[in-house]
Amino acid sequence: MAVNYNAKEEADGHTSGVGVAGGGAAGGAGKSRKPDNTAFKQQRLPAWQPILTAGTVLPAFFIIGLIFIPIGIGIFVTSNNIREYEIDYTGTDSSSPCNKCLNVSWNSTPPCTCTINFTLDQPFETNVFMYYGLSNFYQNHRRYVKSRDDSQLNGDNSSLLNPSKECEPYRTSENKPIAPCGAIANSMFNDTLELFHIDNETRIPITLNKKGIAWWTDKNVKFRNPFGTTNNLTALFQGTTKPVNWPKPVYMLDSEQDNNGFINEDFIVWMRTAALPTFRKLYRLIERKNNLQPTLQAGKYSLDITYNYPVYSFDGRKRMILSTISWMGGKNPFLGIAYITVGSICFFLGVVLLVIHHKYGNRNNSADIPN
Amino acid sequence: MIKTAHIGVGISGQEGIQAVLASDYSFSQFKFLQRLLLVHGRWSYLRMCKFLCYFFYKNFAFTMVHFWFGFFCGFSAQTVYDQYFITLYNIVYTSLPVLAMGVFDQDVTEQRSMEYPKLYEPGQLNLLFNKREFFICIAQGIYTSVLLFFIPYGVFADAAQLADYQSFAVTVATSLVIVVSVQIGLDTGFWTAINHFFIWGSLAVYFAILFAMHSDGLFQMFPNQFRFVGNAQNTLAQPTVWLTITLTTVVCIMPVVAFRFLKLDLKPELSDTVRYTQLVRKKQRAQHRCMRRVGRAGSRRSGYAFSHQEGFGELIMSGKNMRLSSLALSSFAARSSSSWIETLRKKKGGDSNASSPSGGADKPLKG
Repeated sequence: MAVNYNAKEEADGHTSGVGVAGGGAAGGAGKSRKPDNTAFKQQRLPAWQPILTAGTVLPAFFIIGLIFIPIGIGIFVTSNNIREYEIDYTGTDSSSPCNKCLNVSWNSTPPCTCTINFTLDQPFETNVFMYYGLSNFYQNHRRYVKSRDDSQLNGDNSSLLNPSKECEPYRTSENKPIAPCGAIANSMFNDTLELFHIDNETRIPITLNKKGIAWWTDKNVKFRNPFGTTNNLTALFQGTTKPVNWPKPVYMLDSEQDNNGFINEDFIVWMRTAALPTFRKLYRLIERKNNLQPTLQAGKYSLDITYNYPVYSFDGRKRMILSTISWMGGKNPFLGIAYITVGSICFFLGVVLLVIHHKYGNRNNSADIPN
Repeated sequence: MIKTAHIGVGISGQEGIQAVLASDYSFSQFKFLQRLLLVHGRWSYLRMCKFLCYFFYKNFAFTMVHFWFGFFCGFSAQTVYDQYFITLYNIVYTSLPVLAMGVFDQDVTEQRSMEYPKLYEPGQLNLLFNKREFFICIAQGIYTSVLLFFIPYGVFADAAQLADYQSFAVTVATSLVIVVSVQIGLDTGFWTAINHFFIWGSLAVYFAILFAMHSDGLFQMFPNQFRFVGNAQNTLAQPTVWLTITLTTVVCIMPVVAFRFLKLDLKPELSDTVRYTQLVRKKQRAQHRCMRRVGRAGSRRSGYAFSHQEGFGELIMSGKNMRLSSLALSSFAARSSSSWIETLRKKKGGDSNASSPSGGADKPLKG
C-alpha cells in the first residue's frame, strides 16, 4: 500500500511540480528557497551504525570475563602477600596499658606515656611503612575541609598576617593571627610513636625515617614557608601565634630547617584531608638496611607512645599500623575480590545470554549472516 | 485548526500565505507532508526521547553520588568532586556528545522510513518516553551513582596510599566522565564524524582541563582557588585508580548491554528489524560486488518486484532466510504485497512456479 501510494503521489507530484516550477519561473528570477543538497543539510552524512548482535555482545562478555578473573586473582594474591600488623592503642579496654591516658587533654603536662608490647609472627621483608590510623574522625566534613588558607600555607606574607575568613573561628587568637590558621591545622595529630625491637631483654630502637612521607608536589609547591631573606623561621613568623591546641608554635616543629615551619612533613600529611571517617596516614618509614636481613624480624617488639591526642570524647579510635606495600598500595582484598566477582558474573551472563539466544532468539538476528 | 493542533502545517501557495503565518511548519506541496511525518517527525521524536533519557540519567548519576557520600561525611553537604568539575560537567564534559546525538541520530535511513510507515507507530503510541521509560532512566542513574561511589569507597576505605579526599574526588570524577561517555556511545545509533569528534573530544578536553587545573602554574596564581595542585599527576599515575575506573565502567555498562541485547534478540521492534536488514543487505551488496556472477542459470531477480527498490528478493531467494520468525513476518504483513508472502510460502512448500497468489498452497511457516 505504501508503495502504491508512493507511486501515485510521485505521478501527482510531477505534474504539480511542473506547475509550480512553471509558476515560479514565470514569477521572475527569485532566489530559490530550496535548502542546499549537501550531505550535511540533507542528513545523508556517512555514518557508522552499530547494532548489538550476538556476534559482538557474546564474545565481549566472554572476553571480559576471561580478562577480569586473572586480573582479580593477581590482585588478590598480591594483596595477600602484603604483611600488615595493626594495634589499637586508644586504651578503651581497661586492661590496655594506655587506659590511663584515655582522658588526657591536649595540654596536660607532663605528657602521658604508655608502652604496648607485641609480637610479629612473620618477618617483614621489604620496606615497612608505619601509619597512624584514626576512626570516627570526620576529616571530610564540609566546614572542616574549607577551614584552611592555602595562600598562607604557600608562604604569602600578606595572608600570613591576615588569614582568610574561612579559618574562623581559628583565625586569630589573643589578637594575633594564627599561623597556620584553620580547624584542620588546629587538630593536627601530635602523638609520638617509637618502636623498639626486644632482643634478649635489650631494647633496640628502630630507626624511623620522617622524610619522604609527603607528596613531592605538596612539599615543594603547595606548602612554602613565608618568604624572607633570613633563614631564621622564628623571625619569618613574627607577628603570628600558634594554633590554639598546639603545644609548640609552627616554627618549632622540627630542628631541621628543611622540615620546619609549613614544610614539616607530618604537618603536610595531616593537611591532606582524608576522604572517609576511618583513615590512616603515613607516619614514618622503616627502610631496609641490607638485602640479607628482613626489615623487621619476627619477634617481640615494643611501641612507646606519647599520648597527646585525645579521641575518646567523640568515640574515636587510634591505631598504629605496620605494613609493607606493593605496586597497588597497601593490603586491600576488595579490588581483587571485586574483579573476580565481576569477571565471573560477566562470564556467567555470557553463558546465560548464549543459551537464551540459542533457544529463543530471533533467527534473523543471528550472527552468521548468509554469504 | 492549525493553531489548536499539536503541530500545525501550512501549505504556501498561490492562495496566500495566511496558513503559513499561523503554522509551525510550512511547505509548498502537499506531498511533502509524507516526508515531514514519516522521516523528520519520526526522527525528531526519536532524538528527543533519547536525549531526554540520557540527560536525566547523566545528571542522576552525577548528583546521587553526593547523597551516598552524605552518609560518610556527617551529612555536611561536602561535595565529592572538585568545584570546577561540578561547574564544567554539564557545560563542557557532557554537553556536546548528547547535542550531537540529538541533532544527527537516525535509526533507519529516510528511504526505509518512507517504505515502512508502520515505523511511525511508536510516536503515536508514546512508546519511547513515557512514565515507565522515565523511571528506567532514573533507576539506571541511581544504580550508576551507587557503583560510582561505593567501588572507590571499597578500594580507598582504610587505604593509606590514596586515602585522601582529593584523590577520591579525582577517581570518582574520572570514573563518572568515562561511564557517561561510554553510555552516550551506546545510545548513539548513528555515528557521524561529528559524533566521533564530540565524544572523543569531550573526553580529551576533560583530561586536558584536569591536568591544567591541577598544574603548578595555576596554583601559583590563585592558591585559594586551585587547591588540587599535584593531584592529577599523583593520582592518575597509580594503577589502582585505573583498575578502579575500569571496574566501575564495566559494572555500570554491562547490565545495559545485556538488557539491550536481550530486547533486540527476543522482542525486536520494527525499527530494529529494519536496521538489521539494512545492515545485512549492505553486507550482501558489498560481497556480491566482489563475487563474480559467472554461470548463474537464470536471473536471481524474481519475477515479482514488490517495491521500486530491490526489496527482499535477493535475501529470500538465497534460501538462507527461510526460517523467518512469525514475529518478523507478522510485522511485515502490515506492509503491502500479499504476493510476497504467498510466494514465500510456495517456496517453502517446494513449489518453484510463481503462480497466481490466490492459488498458493497454505503451508504453515516454521517460526
